[in-house]
Amino acid sequence: MVGELIRVSLVGGILAVDRAAGWSLMLSQPLVGACLAGALINPGPEWELWALRIPLAVGGILQLLLTDPALPAAQAPRDTATASVVGSAVALLALPRLHPALAVSAGGILWVVIGVGAGLLSAVLGGWFARLHRPGGATVARAEALAAAGDMASFDRFYWAGLGRTFLVGAAWSWGGTILLLWAALSYLPRFAGELTARRAGVVFAVLLGAAAAAGLNAHVRGRRHGWRWAALGALVVAFLLQGLKVAAP
Amino acid sequence: MSDRFPKTDFGRATSRSFHIQALLQPERMQGLGFGFAMIPFLRRLYADPAERGAALRRHLAYFATHPILSGYVLGVAARLEERRASGEPISEAAIDGAKRAMATPLAGLGDPLFWVTLRPLAGLLSVIALLVLPPPASGAPDLRVLLCPLFLLLTYNAVALPYRLAGVARGYREGDRPAALLRSLQLSERNAILERVGAFAFGAFLALAALVQGPAGAVRGGADEGGAAWALMLTPVALGALVGLAGRKAMPGRPVEVALAALLAGCVMAAWV
Repeated sequence: MVGELIRVSLVGGILAVDRAAGWSLMLSQPLVGACLAGALINPGPEWELWALRIPLAVGGILQLLLTDPALPAAQAPRDTATASVVGSAVALLALPRLHPALAVSAGGILWVVIGVGAGLLSAVLGGWFARLHRPGGATVARAEALAAAGDMASFDRFYWAGLGRTFLVGAAWSWGGTILLLWAALSYLPRFAGELTARRAGVVFAVLLGAAAAAGLNAHVRGRRHGWRWAALGALVVAFLLQGLKVAAP
Repeated sequence: MSDRFPKTDFGRATSRSFHIQALLQPERMQGLGFGFAMIPFLRRLYADPAERGAALRRHLAYFATHPILSGYVLGVAARLEERRASGEPISEAAIDGAKRAMATPLAGLGDPLFWVTLRPLAGLLSVIALLVLPPPASGAPDLRVLLCPLFLLLTYNAVALPYRLAGVARGYREGDRPAALLRSLQLSERNAILERVGAFAFGAFLALAALVQGPAGAVRGGADEGGAAWALMLTPVALGALVGLAGRKAMPGRPVEVALAALLAGCVMAAWV
């Protein structure tokens, strides 16, 4: 598990840099982070199938849930970059450890719900953690002093160190957040073993899907010029295509 | 491109512009990053450390624009610095004014395109890919884990990366005609097109989710005994949508909290079921 936590923290650090330092290549989007975590964590040969499917579903749902048309400056400071990495890691690392106690035949849905929940909590807690390490007035004063001295090499080093700090904050939270939320899952979920049925997991999953659809509607249709018309057209085209495929199929 | 700046300087400034927010803070916003990205040009223009330092300090002031489009402002500033270094009477205020005159409209046009439209669209298309791509046959590797993120990255960067890579050079070349440069970027036109693509894709996503995969399928797959009624299956989805829509209205800019509220509502409903 130590190796997996190190890999998770490295991915988390890179995603934090992508989101916070200005790379903005979208590596920090939930689906990308979740799939990277899924590719790097191996819960064991008997769980090989779920090692990729669970992160895909966690990433897909978080991708929709965390879609928000508000500008970054108008959003609450939440660490959505590492959320999917932590969520997927918690789900995958909890799976082999909790499965004996929570043997629910729900097609992996229970673990997806656990991963999404862990990811959302991680976004809130990680946001607080990142805020503690944000550059402040002392950073400006130091940068001004280096510039006034005309020492560009030192200014460069100072700036690269700031970039390194962004990486370290993301990596530290991914590592600590995974351990914290995994501990919480391993400690508390077995207490609800009798309550956690496949049907209940399915209900929570369906509620999350509804909320994800609402997030998409808010981002893509509401307030957009002719948004409803284009959405209706998209739905009709797909319905006709699917009908055509159904008719063409033997 | 320029007698004074070799191509490598433009490349270095472009690569540094990728880190423009590493020391983002409320007092200066991207100011420290802007200075950092200007260093290749300043090193070329000023041999005297005192002059270099003064030039660097000029660019550490408050600066805020869209990070993808910051290269255009860097190019404009490099051109003005070049003219100042060659003895033209260009004041510090003129350089700062030119930077602001470019940065503000670039932020105003870039934010809706990249943050509000393109980023959610790329995410939505990757989720559609997840719905459309078939799961692997037993024993075969699940390529969706590679293809879906790749699809997201390609969709977003196919639009955004050309702006980033060309920004510094174009800003330098066309910085004397900022209005024409801004118009030539066609940011609002592209935003209008992508908005429609986004709405169309969302409609397609809903149809796919309902007709192919579906919350019905998800709940049915999770049911112990199976065969639950459609109405029963759609109730939690409707509850989630209701919480999502009401939450977005009550807590704008807080998608995490809205999602947590939906999760809580789901747990309450599950306990009741």
